[in-house]
Parts: sequence; structure tokens; C-alpha cells
Amino acid sequence: MKSPERQKILIEGAKKEGKVTFYTGLIVDQVVRPLKEGFEKEYPFVQVDFFRGNSENIARRVLTEYQAKRYDVDVVSGSAATSMVQRAGFMQRFYSPHLAEYPAELKDAKGFWGSTNVYFMTLGYDTRSVKPNELPKTYEDLLQPRWRGQMMWSTSRGSGAPQFIGNILLTMGQEAGKAYLQKLKGQNIAKSTASARQILDLVIAGEYPLAVQIFNHHAYISKAAGAPVEWQPLEPVTATINTIGLAKNSPRPHAAMLFLDFLLSKKGQKIVQLSNYLPSHPEMPALQADLKPGGGRFKKANYINPDVLYDQGNDWVDYFQNQFLK
Amino acid sequence: MAKQQSSETFKLPLESANARQAHGGFRLEVFSRFEAETWVLVAVSIVTAYLVLPPLYSVIQTSLFTTKLTGELDEFTLSYYRDMFRELQVLGPFLNTIYFSVGSALLATLLGGLVAWVVTRTDSPLRGLGYFTAFASFGTPFILYTIGWLLILGKAGPVNTWLRGFFDHGGAAVNVYSMWGMVFVESLLWSPFVFLLLAASFRSMDPSLEEASAVCGARVWQTLRRISLRLMLPAFFSVLLLIFIRAFESFEIPALVGLPGDIRVLTTSILLDAQRMPPTYGRAGAFAVLLMLAVACTLYFYFRITREAARFHTITGKGYRPTLIQLGGWRYVTAGGLLLYSFVILILPFLIVLWASLLPFYIQPSLEALSKFTLKNYVTAIHFPKITDAIKNSVLLGLGSATAVMVLTTLASWILVRTKLRGRWLLDLLTTLPLLFPGIVMGLAIMRFYLLVPIPIYGTLWILLIAFVTRYIPYGIRYTHSGLLQLHRELEEAAYASGASWLNAMRRITMPLLTPSFLGGWVFIFLLSAKELSMSILLVSPQTPVVSVAIYELWENGQVGELAAFGVIWTAILVSIAVAYYLFARRYGIQQH
Repeated sequence: MKSPERQKILIEGAKKEGKVTFYTGLIVDQVVRPLKEGFEKEYPFVQVDFFRGNSENIARRVLTEYQAKRYDVDVVSGSAATSMVQRAGFMQRFYSPHLAEYPAELKDAKGFWGSTNVYFMTLGYDTRSVKPNELPKTYEDLLQPRWRGQMMWSTSRGSGAPQFIGNILLTMGQEAGKAYLQKLKGQNIAKSTASARQILDLVIAGEYPLAVQIFNHHAYISKAAGAPVEWQPLEPVTATINTIGLAKNSPRPHAAMLFLDFLLSKKGQKIVQLSNYLPSHPEMPALQADLKPGGGRFKKANYINPDVLYDQGNDWVDYFQNQFLK
Repeated sequence: MAKQQSSETFKLPLESANARQAHGGFRLEVFSRFEAETWVLVAVSIVTAYLVLPPLYSVIQTSLFTTKLTGELDEFTLSYYRDMFRELQVLGPFLNTIYFSVGSALLATLLGGLVAWVVTRTDSPLRGLGYFTAFASFGTPFILYTIGWLLILGKAGPVNTWLRGFFDHGGAAVNVYSMWGMVFVESLLWSPFVFLLLAASFRSMDPSLEEASAVCGARVWQTLRRISLRLMLPAFFSVLLLIFIRAFESFEIPALVGLPGDIRVLTTSILLDAQRMPPTYGRAGAFAVLLMLAVACTLYFYFRITREAARFHTITGKGYRPTLIQLGGWRYVTAGGLLLYSFVILILPFLIVLWASLLPFYIQPSLEALSKFTLKNYVTAIHFPKITDAIKNSVLLGLGSATAVMVLTTLASWILVRTKLRGRWLLDLLTTLPLLFPGIVMGLAIMRFYLLVPIPIYGTLWILLIAFVTRYIPYGIRYTHSGLLQLHRELEEAAYASGASWLNAMRRITMPLLTPSFLGGWVFIFLLSAKELSMSILLVSPQTPVVSVAIYELWENGQVGELAAFGVIWTAILVSIAVAYYLFARRYGIQQH
């Protein structure tokens, strides 16, 4: 359908619907609220209602509601949530004219999801105790005796050890990857259920010199506040995609499509950028450009496809449990 | 029943005044009391069963069936139980769990018990500090309290720095990521619970028994060991059982404190199972069911022991005025002990949290860091979205669930202690089971239940209230049960003999005497419900934000300073309400005597 016509139909429908319900893993304070404001300014006749939770809780909520035939949600967003809901058969394909502007790794070939923003997982280190000349620059460098017992990572599937393991296995291949991980195991990395953000804070407090698999923008924010911390990419850098999609029985499909269009458009992406998040749109750099690949500090990133994450994630969790847990 | 009563009433005028007094009047009282007992039993059982059975059913179901991706039941399986037994055969995690639970239960009971004794039974100075410390330390958000201790005792923390300077020691002298670190933090977390429960019991102690012991030439500690502590067996049992169970099934401390030091407990693999997609709760369910069986046995025997309730009565018709033990020179020792307790359990962790809240990023305590002090984190905290709604909701939920739980469990305990109805230990079991439900499974069960039944409370505060009340019944029952065991039946009998109705006896005699236990339980549940996370995170809706979920979001994504600022504000609000309620209610309770 041609753009002007499509837009007209959507607006007419959305006027009757009046609101859109958004289940998201994005942080309300930092980015959801600006997006809501931006969207409501553009379409004052639609109000955005949101529920925030982590991927697992969003998926659980949608699945439980759908099982009870309660169709509240229109747009679902999260890293693995959309995949899980889609596998249960509760998502539908959607088309947005903006999707064409995105590279293949940032949208679903089958049309179930697009992407609002991306995350890059790197090392974070204490600049007081890690000297520039000893700073690890490759995955191999982590195996040096200097780092034995000096690293910490999170047990989280989405931003911790299992994801690191996944990235290694996907990029090095099963055999070489497992050989590497066996050596890494000897390094005795401390594990915690704390989130990647809190592990970085423990590094800032001086508890451990190196945090493995933290969000690079967290380190950047803390560094800007004056903290003795810096991030260091190990290539290929693990990249996580924040996906968005349309719920199968979306009760307000017109408003939902307007909202999806808005999130994927440059206007929406600009808000993501201004909120200090890393926009998915290839033409929208990060405010701090070097946080994204090609910004000067790293080139290669491995975007972990949500379907791959869903299908192989359990193997990575198992590998972590069996090999790294005593 | 109604018919019998009316015939009784009908007969009355026909009989002589004399006979009515000796015979009919007495029988009428018996009937109305019996009727009251039955009604209370029926009402309490229905309410409790309504709250507890759906999640119980769900927990058992979870442990026996695999689920499809949609959450539908798939196939019957015993594999979760097999996994659990296999886990039990590996000795390491099992032994660690036992060390951790026994250690925490004993240390928390020792700490909380000692302080409770000093505060309620001696003339030691600074006694008010005991209550304030309990309220304030328990009001601190759990995550912050733990992080506070990790920062204090961590490798780069002030304790290790100080010890290093003192002993000229190379590495870290104290390793908090260890078994003792786990036991230490867990017992500090639970000692306020012990304190509140035991303080209520000590307060209701019958001094004449102790005096008799003293007259017979027993020393203070002999009296304590052979009289006081034995009389408090139900109270001690309550705290030990509860803390043991909570520690046995807890994830948080073992994960945050133990895991970095490679200490694995039974719940570790359950916790990591939650990282799988779709998450499986089968093993968590099987673990809960096995624990329930163990607890059912324990309760059955406990019930047989306390059946001879008369052995534990301390408040009788003979007069009730617990005397304070004159400590003499020891007063300074106990006052010092109270100060130390307060310093360790409250001031130290709170100071570090306050410290973190005033800095743009965490710096170990030092003079130069003072120059970086800022209120920026507080500004962020105040502007957290829907924060006033969240605070209002959490306070409402705390008030509602504390009151509802204490009323319900007072009635339930009354049935357990006062009546001779058979099988009432089942009611005790029913009120203890929610302690063992895994939070996430219970949250899902309640969510499903109210999506299916035509009671439109999904997405409102009511569903959270129901979840909280169910969750905290076990705590309420332990407070009121051990409290009621101390009240001799003869006090109520006297009221009935003087013509009081059941309601009047309850209101004028039982409740005022039960005040210390009731208040202790109320405050504890109020503070506890403010922290509830595992169910809230599933049951909140966009319109019903609560504080614990907001704190969790900051914990996942916020910097430690923002989390700390939020925590400081929230602790201040909670503690003010708890202290205000406590002072008000205690005054009111004492006037009733």
C-alpha cells in the first residue's frame, strides 16, 4: 500500500482506538517516557500505556494473558521476549515502510520483528589498577595469569556469562570455541547474580579490576561522571538487539502500527539517540559515536539474532552451569 | 443451632430466676460461645483455604507436569523429583545448605534473643534503641542492605583496608564471599524478626515462676535456662523453624554472597534454571513440595508437644507484671552491647548506603571523597516516574496486608490454641504452607487464577493485596500462636462467667493481652510487604506501580548511588510509619489493660 493512503487509514483507525498498550523491557525513566511524549505529540489522539519488565516477565505476562484469552497488549518489545511469544504463536507479521532502511541483521526475515536499539557488551575495567600496557585487547589476552581471580561476570542469560559463551561459540566455532572456554574456565571468573550494571559498580568500588560482558554505555556514563572506569571492546563484540513486534490479537491494530512506524522512523530513532541509547537505524549514530561499531573504537560486532538466542541460549546456559559452576 | 437457641430462650422465662442462674443462663452462654467458635472456625478455614489452596494446587501441578511454551500443561513427569534427588546425592550443595540454614537460624536467634531479653526484662539503659534498630534495619531494602555489607566487608572495603593497615597483611584478611559471610548477612537480616517475636514473649513472662526459682536458690542463668527459656519453647520453635526454612529455600544471599566465592547450595541450580527459555519452574516446584512434606512432619510433632498448652501459660489470672531484672554494674555492659548491636546491624550498613547515595559514583570512604558530595542522586530518585503513586500503593498494601494477616491469624491461632476441634493441626499446616511456595510460582498461580475466575481484580491493587496476605500468613501465625499459648484460658473463662459474649471477651481480654505479639507481627509484615518483589513483578500493572519493583529496576539498570538515594528515602518513610503506628498502638493497648 502506498504511504499516504496507508497513513490515512491508520490515523482514522487510531482515532477510534484512542490508545496503544506497550509491553517493554526498555527503561521507563530513560527512554520510554521520551518516546511516549514524542509519539503523543505527533498523534495527540493516541495515548501510550506501558508495562515495563525484563524479557522473561514480559513473555510470561503475554503468554499467561493470551492463555486466558485476555488481549490487552498491542506492541511487545524486548530482547528475547518477542521470540518466545512468537514461538508460542502469539505474534503476527507486520510491515512498516521504514524497515527497508535497516540492514538484514536488525530485522526479521519473516517479518515478525524490527529493532529500536542495540547494546554492545564489552570489558569494563578499573583504571586505577589496570595499566594501559596490560589491558586485554583480544579474547586470548583474558587467559593471561595476570587476570586469574581478577574478573567478574553476571550469570544473566541476556547480559552475562551465557551470552559471552554464545558469542565465542558462534564466532570461533564449536570446537575452537570450546577449547578457548576450557582455558578460560581455569581463570576462575567470579560469578554473581547481580546485573551487569551492578557488577560494573563493584569494579568502580575496587572489588575486581575487570568486569566481563558489561554494557559499554554504562561504563561511558560512569566515566563521564568522573568514575575511574573505562570500557574495552574485544572483537567481535557481542551485540544484543532490542526488538519490537505486533501482538497477534492486538486490540488496537491501527494505533499499534502507527506506534511501530514511529519507533522505526528517524524521528523515533532521534529520541532514542537523545536518550543516550544506541539507535538501531544505520544512519543514526550514537550521541557518543564511538559506542557503536565504526565509531572509531571497534569495527566488528556480532549481532545475536533473537531466534538464535532463543534456540541456542539454553545450551549456553547449560554449558555455563556444567563447566563454570563448581 | 438457631432452633436450639430459640427453644432455650423460650424456656427461660418459665423457669425460676434461681434455676436460670444456675442452669439455663449458663447453658445459653455455652451455646453462644460454641456457636462463635464454630463460626470463627468456618470463616477462618474458608478464607485461608481460598487464599492458600489455589497456589498450593499450582505448585504441586508445576512439579509434576512439563509445560508447553504457552504455559499449558503438557505431560506428566517425575523427572523434576528425580533431578532433585540426584542433586541431594551430591553431598556438597546439600551440606552447604544445612550449614547455612542451621548457622543462620542459630545466630539470628542468639542475637535477636539476647537483645530482646535485655530490652524487655532488664533495667538496662538505651532499651528503646532495640526497637528502633529492628524497625530501621528491616526497613532498608534487602538488596541495598546486602550490597552495603559487600561494600563494607569486600576486598577494597573499609574493614579490609583497616585490617591491612593494622596487621600489615598483604591480601584481603576478611573474605565476605564465603560461608561465614552468607551466615553473617542472613542472620543480621533475620535478627529483627527474632527480636520482635521474642520481645513479645519475654514481655508476657510470668515473673512468679522466676521468683520461685530464685527463692529456691537458683542463679540468674539457671533460672533463665530452666524456667524462662523452657516457658518460651513455642516462641523459640517459631523463630528457629521459620528462619531455618527461609534460609533453606532462599536464593538471594547464597547468590549474591556465596556464588562469587563458588559456594553452591541446593537452590543454586533452581536459580540458574530461571535463565532458561522458556523458564522452567518444575524443579522449584519439586523442591517446594519436598520441603512441604518435611515441614508437615515437623509441625505435626510440634503440635503434639505444644498440645499440653498449659505448660506454656505465663499470663494467668494471678496477676501479670513482668518485673525488670536489676542489672547493677552490668547495666553498662548491656548498654554497650545494645550500642554495638545497633551499630553493626543498622548504623554501619545504613551509613555506607547513605555514603553511596551522596556520591556521583561509589568511592570507598575517605576524606577526599567528601568534596564530591552531591544531591544529584536524590533529584533522580524524586523524579522517578510515578514515584508518588508507587509510594502510596506500597504504603496502602503494607497497611492492608499487615492488618488483614494479623486479624486472620489471630483468629486462626485462637482456634488452634483454645478449641479442641480435631484436625486443627491441619489449619496450622495450611497457614504455614505459603512460606514454602516459590514466589514466582505463587505469583503465576495467582495471576492465572484471577484471569480465569470472574472476579475482576487482575491489574488492580486487590490482586497484590491477596497475594501479599497469602504470602505473609505464616509469619502472622507464628507471632499470634506463640503469643496466645502464653495466655491462660482462665482469663477468658472468667470473662464468660461474668456474662461476656465471645466478641467482648476477645475485644476486652484476649486482644489487649495479645498486644505485644500482635504489634510485633504487624510491624514485621508491614515492613516485609514493602520489600516483596517476586510476585509483585508479575502482578503490577501500568496503573499500579509499587516501590519494590521500582527499586528492582534501579538495581538492574541504575547506578548504585541512585539505588541508594531511593533506598534512603524509602527507608525513612517506612520507618516513620512503623514507629508512629507502634507508639500509637502500644499506648492504646496499654490503656486497655
